[in-house]
Amino acid sequence: MNSAWTVFRKELLDVMRDRRTLLFMLVIPTLSIPVLMWITSGAMTHFLEKLAKEKVDVLVLGQQHDPKLVDELRQRSNPEKAGNRLAKVLEQYGLGEKELALVKGEGKEAFVRLLKKKNVDPKEFIGKVMDSVNARDFDATASNIATQAFPPNFRIITKLDRHPDLSPDDDDYKDVLLNAVRTDEIAAVVEIPKDSMKKIKDEDTTRITIRYLETSDRSTMALKGLKRIFKSMSKRMAIERIKAHGLPEGFAAPIEIRAERLPGPGLLVKLMSQFLPYMILIFSFLGALYPAIDLGAGEKERGTLETLLVAPVSRLSLVLGKFGVVLTAALVSSLLATVSLAISLQAGFLSDLSVLSGEAFSFSATEAITAIVMIIPISCIFSALLLALSIFAKSFKEGQAYASPLQMIIILPALVSILPGVKLDWMTASIPIVNVSLALKEIFTGNLDQHWAHMALIFISTAVVAGLLLWFAAWWFRREQVLFRS
Amino acid sequence: MGDDPGLGDTGVKAEGLVKIFKDKKRGQVRAVDDVSFEAHPGEVFGLLGINGAGKTTTLRMLSTMLKPTSGDASVCGFSVTRQGTEVRRNIGFMSTATSLYGRLTAREMVVYFGKLNRMHPDKIEKRMKVLFELFDMNEFADTRCDKLSTGMKQKVSIVRTVLHDPQVMIFDEPTAGLDVLTSRTIVDFVRQCRIEKKCVIFSTHIMDEVDKLCDRVGLIHNGKLLACEPIEDLKSYTDSGRVEDAFVKIVEAKS
Repeated sequence: MNSAWTVFRKELLDVMRDRRTLLFMLVIPTLSIPVLMWITSGAMTHFLEKLAKEKVDVLVLGQQHDPKLVDELRQRSNPEKAGNRLAKVLEQYGLGEKELALVKGEGKEAFVRLLKKKNVDPKEFIGKVMDSVNARDFDATASNIATQAFPPNFRIITKLDRHPDLSPDDDDYKDVLLNAVRTDEIAAVVEIPKDSMKKIKDEDTTRITIRYLETSDRSTMALKGLKRIFKSMSKRMAIERIKAHGLPEGFAAPIEIRAERLPGPGLLVKLMSQFLPYMILIFSFLGALYPAIDLGAGEKERGTLETLLVAPVSRLSLVLGKFGVVLTAALVSSLLATVSLAISLQAGFLSDLSVLSGEAFSFSATEAITAIVMIIPISCIFSALLLALSIFAKSFKEGQAYASPLQMIIILPALVSILPGVKLDWMTASIPIVNVSLALKEIFTGNLDQHWAHMALIFISTAVVAGLLLWFAAWWFRREQVLFRS
Repeated sequence: MGDDPGLGDTGVKAEGLVKIFKDKKRGQVRAVDDVSFEAHPGEVFGLLGINGAGKTTTLRMLSTMLKPTSGDASVCGFSVTRQGTEVRRNIGFMSTATSLYGRLTAREMVVYFGKLNRMHPDKIEKRMKVLFELFDMNEFADTRCDKLSTGMKQKVSIVRTVLHDPQVMIFDEPTAGLDVLTSRTIVDFVRQCRIEKKCVIFSTHIMDEVDKLCDRVGLIHNGKLLACEPIEDLKSYTDSGRVEDAFVKIVEAKS
């Protein structure tokens, strides 16, 4: 055991002097998560905002059938005019021109931050801006709130330049439209029916068709904007009709739904509990990968294996010392990934989340300890497997070639925590890797109390497998056919 | 000779060593076939043979890296098949394949192997100081091994090999691929070992080296030990008195 400790310390020193190991063990797990988040959310926000600011053309056919309706559509899709409404609502909250300018200038993020600072409920705010009593139905992520507060930016045109006489009755009508949307000439088409004015006057329903292209982001965003505008116009008209008949406001809205979140774990916890188990497992594997190859195949490649084998140390001590270093790397790497993910989420790299939730991701000592207890045996499995593979390989390259398929085999079951609806039960608790992934998910969701029996089963089974694999690695290291493979 | 009372405790005695490898293409290969010899303290025993003759396999069995298929050998009285750790504690093994850890410094490298040999830290320090002085190594003692020249590396290897003061030294083609000056360091070192009454086993395919260094020679070919006698006897096989001619004559006669 004394020798194993000597081997452990030397190997640790050795791998810590290797830049590639440090990169895999320390730098990548720490930085990859925030960078990935920053890039995805930053880039998404950037492009969405760019799309939103862009003025897109919407073709309205049949304006002559209901000029009043089209006029209102034009007004509501004009940011200048809608901005005035926004200003009015801001005034109600004691916010003035200055804030409006700030909001308009800096875009959504600043706007939502401002609301939060003033303790304004974003949903209520949207409700006022959109004069919709159903504002609570909307998703309350920051980008949604902001998108709704900032009106869509449409230019309403009534004919296409190259097909000024286009009519829905034409044979090639849809082809012409498809082409126009594909070439970004227009984003969507609104068809006003011939009897629109009459239907509205008769207090009936006018059926407006919006044509859009599913694969075009401009087009689907235009569809959303148009839907919102018409929904809010419809609401206004309904209220007018009800008032004209002297009926109560609720007449046309017999049911109103409010979705209220229970004071439990929210979206941040949900996301953390989905991604964290996957991250932990992957980074445990990746952290172990490089030192394992270095300490096994690396010895052969650099010709130090014989030097080591003629030392009066038992092969078991060698394996244990090396295994200890690989395991340490796996644990450090997964721990760093966990901390990094937690910090990134709370620091608001995913800005949508931090704004709406205001919740913190934290767990109790029991949960933390249980999580660590679950992580250690699975990391042992990765370490022992990788070390055994690595000792078998003749060179670094060969070692990496063996590890790649193993990586694929591990990623897939680890991904289970992200899949919706997969629950931890006796069946899933008996599938290796899947069970640890789900166990961690339950721990981070705060459901530990319901799963103690599962946790025990998973820990014991994983620990048994880990022990067997370590024993296998030790036996493997004694085989001449493995050490002196030619 | 087998009844020499002191031999069992200080020298090397191989008895019927056989090593069979399983090869996919060639089936069973008898890499070492019934090899027996003795090597005594204060002598350099040369194992002479061409590449692939079975020298390395024999020496790997003596140093317990490989297990004999049958037969046994004793090193300082310890069996290589049953007392591996004790055998390794009593040998210093050096070959072209025993490289250094590039990311450790010369000093760290030596200390590590001292510890693996269960030496007391104070003893390691003392002995290292003497040896570093002897081989003029203080200048690069704290340089990482991968930054050292071949000659410097050989010196570190030598210190690593003798730090625990083993009674038996095994050299497996230690000069292969080295330049003249570096080989010289090693040849001098082998002579020094003889003076210190160590039992030295030295394998090579260079006839000249055998002539210069060895007291007795074992001639190995296709895994079989064809001859085992004092260098002078070997040389008298042919009129020329050259080892090379003797080697060719014996190989042609016996195979």
